Amino acid sequence: MHLVVQAIILGLLTGGVYALMASGLTLAFGVMRVINVAQGAMIVAGAYVSYTLFTDFHIDPFVSIVLMAPAAFAVGVLLQLVFLRPLRSDEREELSLLVTWAIALGIEGVLSVIYTTTYRATLPGYVNDSLTVAGYRIAVVRLVAFGISGVILLLLYLVLHRTRLGRSIRATVQNPTAARLLGVDAERVSAYGFGLSVATATAAGAVFGMVEPFNPGSHYDLISRLLTIVVLGGLGSLTGAVLAALVMGVSEAVLAATISPTWSSLVFFVILIGVLVVRPQGLMGATERGRL
Amino acid sequence: MVACRFPDERGVVVRVASHKVSLAMAAVALAVTAACGGASGGSSSGSTKPLVIGISLSFSGDFSDPGHAAELGYKLWADQVNKQGGVLGRKVQLKIVDDASSPNQVVTNYQTLISRDKVDLVFGPFSTLLTAPAARVAARYGYAFPEPSGGGPLVFQEKLGNVFFVQPAPVVNCGDPFVSYILSLPPSERPKTAAYPELDDPFAEPIAERARLKFEAAGIKTVFKEVYPPEMSDLTPVVEKMAAAKPDMVFAGTQSDDAYSMVNAMVQLGFSPKFLFQANGANSPVEFPSKVGAKNTEGIFSCGDWFPNSKAPGNQAFIKAYIAKYGGTAADIDSGSAEAYAVGEVVSEVAKKTGKIDNATIIKTLHSGTWPTVEGNLSWDKYGAPNGSTMLTEWIGGKLLPVYPAAVALHPPVIPKPPWGG
Repeated sequence: MHLVVQAIILGLLTGGVYALMASGLTLAFGVMRVINVAQGAMIVAGAYVSYTLFTDFHIDPFVSIVLMAPAAFAVGVLLQLVFLRPLRSDEREELSLLVTWAIALGIEGVLSVIYTTTYRATLPGYVNDSLTVAGYRIAVVRLVAFGISGVILLLLYLVLHRTRLGRSIRATVQNPTAARLLGVDAERVSAYGFGLSVATATAAGAVFGMVEPFNPGSHYDLISRLLTIVVLGGLGSLTGAVLAALVMGVSEAVLAATISPTWSSLVFFVILIGVLVVRPQGLMGATERGRL
Repeated sequence: MVACRFPDERGVVVRVASHKVSLAMAAVALAVTAACGGASGGSSSGSTKPLVIGISLSFSGDFSDPGHAAELGYKLWADQVNKQGGVLGRKVQLKIVDDASSPNQVVTNYQTLISRDKVDLVFGPFSTLLTAPAARVAARYGYAFPEPSGGGPLVFQEKLGNVFFVQPAPVVNCGDPFVSYILSLPPSERPKTAAYPELDDPFAEPIAERARLKFEAAGIKTVFKEVYPPEMSDLTPVVEKMAAAKPDMVFAGTQSDDAYSMVNAMVQLGFSPKFLFQANGANSPVEFPSKVGAKNTEGIFSCGDWFPNSKAPGNQAFIKAYIAKYGGTAADIDSGSAEAYAVGEVVSEVAKKTGKIDNATIIKTLHSGTWPTVEGNLSWDKYGAPNGSTMLTEWIGGKLLPVYPAAVALHPPVIPKPPWGG
């Protein structure tokens, strides 16, 4: 029983970080119907920038998020303007796959040239510290990462629900034509939405770099996990992505600790298929364009 | 089947024939010469043309870092040999091409190097994944295939007679020195229980399984054995389960990033076994401490084929030449560079011993005797698997040192492993 509870704690903490990673992906789809398969590469790029800021300038990875997020937002807006806006709206979902895949490969190539393919890890002094609570070990870095992810997701939620930009984004998600008729500049909203998506990716990257070793090719594994989380949660649903990430984190950790790590990923996919059979729109996805 | 003949013999044949026949025979002779050059590669002593050696290395993709390390070693060897007048008076020219870490591209590269570029010799690429298909190509053309890093079972299962893995032992034997050391301890000091976390990988799992069978036969009880998939980047759940089994010893079949993740999870969970062996990852002098923290390396065992302070023949000269050419310190030298350098060394030694440098001679000669290199004194079985043993290494005082067997040890093993951060 001790092992199971320990695994649940680990799964929740890991799931929180994956929720942050997946939030940008679901946001990009919700706002623009863009399936951003470069999300994993952007997370890895964020991990590298944070790694450099820490090793060369001694800036704590959590502090680096504050510096990186605005720059990443600007990069996201630029990427949307240059690569995604020109796509024809009736083929955007399909074409965005190709375009963002090209962006992912481009990012991987640049990172390989700059950093080589050697694995890196961001290791602040506290990275292996842990707390013991009621006999359970909790890694401090995971706890803080979970907390930071929670704060960023809360901020994202507040932006979407308490600001004019957020209302515009939600309006565009629910009904782009009506939003446009009411004066919402859909193109600008899309650019800002993608900017937010990239900003969350780099923030997640700073956290990811402390939790797992990474190299430029790490994005392949990441994107496959993130896509399954977003599909399980319901494409475009932020709450669904958070819920699905926690389900994934807990199910994998508990199964790896109690049965076998070989089965843990498989069981997550079994859950995914089971949910999709009962609810094709995912846990929290709407059957029509809608909720974010 | 065309027999190759030396230029002077061919000249006699041409002179005794009539004019037209002479021309025809000269043409045939030239064709035969070309064919012989292409089929057997290389030539014997007496020629002054450059000795062209074709090599495919990875400069992009997964193997680009080790590919670069091998390139440094190959180039250093060529420089050193050329400074001394070349191999049998022939200057060495390396023709190095990029395979982008692709098994398909590596096949194309060696086919091109051999059949179109007609290089005299070929040296191997990085990794078993690329070496196995490349060795088949070389075998088809009758080329010797000394190679620095294709030590997985796949290479030797091909049963090719032209392959020579220029390291002390096949990859799966990596844990043997640790097993020997543990079993050499008095029973009271030996671990009673053991855990085997194993990466599902041809270079990791077989090492741990080989050790497990030997330990079980010696009475060390297995309390945990788990194979984890390569995509599992966070090993905390595995370590949680392993820690709950409370083993005295952990023998981990690791590769690289999983080794780092495993140690970090052990530190976070406060689980420190008395003996910890990691097959790979922990044997990287530069990378390992940077991924797990220098203080957490203490007392961890691994295996290795080369060290800066190894007593192997010519090692100090190699280090001096490396630093002179590339700068840095001995600690910065990747073992992949030493492995590639050793490939060149064995070929030089064949030339020195036989006075010839053709592929048939290299293949025949290397199948007998012992060959001194910076990797130690090497010999091979008929399929190119080395007959020696790797060294057991341990992190002691922040340095990775060979500790067993005693003949190569620079420090006695330190047991038990101190607590993390100690």
